[in-house]
Amino acid sequence: MPREFAGTFAGRLEVGGLDVARSARGDVAARVGLVFQDPESQLVMDRVDDDVAFGLENRGWPVASMVPAVSTALTEVRLAGLEQRRPNTLSGGEQQRLALAGVLTADPGLLVLDEPTANLDPAGAAALFARLSAIRGARAATMVIVEHRVDLAWPLADRLLVLGRDGRPIDEGPRDEVVARSGPRLIEAGVWLPAEVEAGIRAANGLAGPHVPAPRRGVAAAARDLSCAAAVSFEWERGRRAVDGVDLAVGAGERVALLGRNGSGKSTLGRLLVGLLRPTAGSVTLAGHDPSRVPPADLARLAGYAFQDPEHQFLRARVRDEVELGLRPDERARVPELMDRLGLPLEGFAARSPYTLSGGEQRRLSLATILVRAPRLLVLDEPTFGQDRANHEALVAILRDRVDAGAALVAATHDLGFAAALLDRSVVLSDGCVVADEPTEGLVRVPERLAAYGLGPLS
Amino acid sequence: MIAARRLAASEITSPLGRTSPLIKLAVAIAWLVGLAFVVDPRPPLVLAGVVVAAGLTLGRVAPRRLLAALAPLWLAAAGIAVFGAVFGAANADPSAAVAVHLGPVRITDPALAGALALGARVIAIGAIGAVFGLTTDPTHLVDSLVQQGRLPERFAYGALAAYGAIPRFAADLLTLRQARRIRGLRGGWHPRLLVGLLVLAIRHADRMALAMDARGFGIGPRSRFRVVRWGWIDAAVAVGAAVVLIAALATAR
Repeated sequence: MPREFAGTFAGRLEVGGLDVARSARGDVAARVGLVFQDPESQLVMDRVDDDVAFGLENRGWPVASMVPAVSTALTEVRLAGLEQRRPNTLSGGEQQRLALAGVLTADPGLLVLDEPTANLDPAGAAALFARLSAIRGARAATMVIVEHRVDLAWPLADRLLVLGRDGRPIDEGPRDEVVARSGPRLIEAGVWLPAEVEAGIRAANGLAGPHVPAPRRGVAAAARDLSCAAAVSFEWERGRRAVDGVDLAVGAGERVALLGRNGSGKSTLGRLLVGLLRPTAGSVTLAGHDPSRVPPADLARLAGYAFQDPEHQFLRARVRDEVELGLRPDERARVPELMDRLGLPLEGFAARSPYTLSGGEQRRLSLATILVRAPRLLVLDEPTFGQDRANHEALVAILRDRVDAGAALVAATHDLGFAAALLDRSVVLSDGCVVADEPTEGLVRVPERLAAYGLGPLS
Repeated sequence: MIAARRLAASEITSPLGRTSPLIKLAVAIAWLVGLAFVVDPRPPLVLAGVVVAAGLTLGRVAPRRLLAALAPLWLAAAGIAVFGAVFGAANADPSAAVAVHLGPVRITDPALAGALALGARVIAIGAIGAVFGLTTDPTHLVDSLVQQGRLPERFAYGALAAYGAIPRFAADLLTLRQARRIRGLRGGWHPRLLVGLLVLAIRHADRMALAMDARGFGIGPRSRFRVVRWGWIDAAVAVGAAVVLIAALATAR
């Protein structure tokens, strides 16, 4: 849909012989099914079955044929029985499957999925790909899947198109041929590959393995006194506990992963630890103070919190203003170096709007606004979201430096590779309760335990 | 995080729940217009009583839910009545008959009558609105407005999508306030919050419009998955409401 976007379009784009740039929107919509990244902004109607029928109504189908088509599509994505529910009461994974059902009804020749699992927990992502795999077997549709983290999509792919950072193609062709032909270039360009594929490329080309610094010794239990939560509960509505009687103590220099499904209470607990929410029961302390009562100017130097959706924390119209907001002169001096390390050099990015950055750049800018103050407690919600491999490694290195300098790091994450590389202690939440608190190394080695916590396999 | 109020299944399948929302809207407007012609507090109180009784029986609304919806509006009505009685302009008129003396405050008959009339009207408006809201499913309302009221679809379904996004805006606002606090800015209500909220709302609307277009919205005449038809219940509600309105107006003196 080149006309829907600002910018210039050149070249020729055809779908099933139809010149997309010159055709009526309806003709394109009839051939292409699109599933976007954010589940909430693609569900239109107030009921599940209405939403599936929406595309058919637009094409003027008679009711008699809509009813069976809706029911078939909901069965195909395993949502049968939820017809009467409101889409915004479904989990993120269910919402993405609902969006998929909505485009399947019209039987499109081409199915395009734009990072469909970006907002999903591992269990939700695996369920979505299980449905895609079944659809691939049952239907003749062509699928184009845009993904950063390719483990789930890899078995489905016949062909690869790999784009470099400059937007130019690095290689295109049958999957295994691309790997054989351009493997080292893909690794060099920072493209994520499944672990066994990457190991194969390194072995075949005599490349050394990735540099993994030795994990540091954990913090002794007695020194866990920077951030303490005691019997903390939080209710968004009366009777619905998002966090339920959590005890958690974190010390300076500690690196903690908060793991668990979507909705298990990770983000709420994170906001409680830095005083953005006040517990409905229990108490939270940060360096001996109640963080919800610390004046904002002091809080910003004591604790940093990166929101899950970076767009929600931008407060200024230009990147430089955003990162320099409220800084002291000595803190301002750190900005250029930090932005360079995060791959957002001020020379290129200072005057841009935070909203026009890519998702991965927005994530790094939001982390920059927190890291630049060097707070004693860092609470980050999905810090590695949307990062290619090179930026992922840079981020791990920056966070490692901060922790070595004495900061405590708590990261809510679905990225078990990130957890295993940096976060030596894992706290698993389920329905607002802590169900495990132990060294990450032991947890990620047992796939059955990961599955029980809804945490897909370590890639 | 913050869920919009949902209707119970019994409310949706009740006779009032199945009545065309367009008819209910017409009844509400007709009643409010009718009330504008009388000053006496009796007709609005009769209508409020009837609509509450209808909500409890024909609408199968749980009494607790109805009370929770009505309480703030009725408290406001009481406040308005007291305020009007004490500070009414007629109290300054030395020729007006005095109803009560409250210490130095002199409450006159015309001020008291005006205050009661206003309070009663607010009570009636609150009751009508609460029962309409508690017996009307948003999707049913939009289907009815489009299919029976001939409202343009783009407007109606856009409004429905916006309604669905209300909880999202509430969550966005909370996040923006927290984002200010964690960056060392003063909390509370700052005008910039509105700018931020507007930016997020526009970006959400943009993505939503793209998703709707990608599914072929607006390419031609639409068909309907959920067909709304007129039924005997609609006629019964319309006739009943007209009778009640006439009877209520007849109680005025």
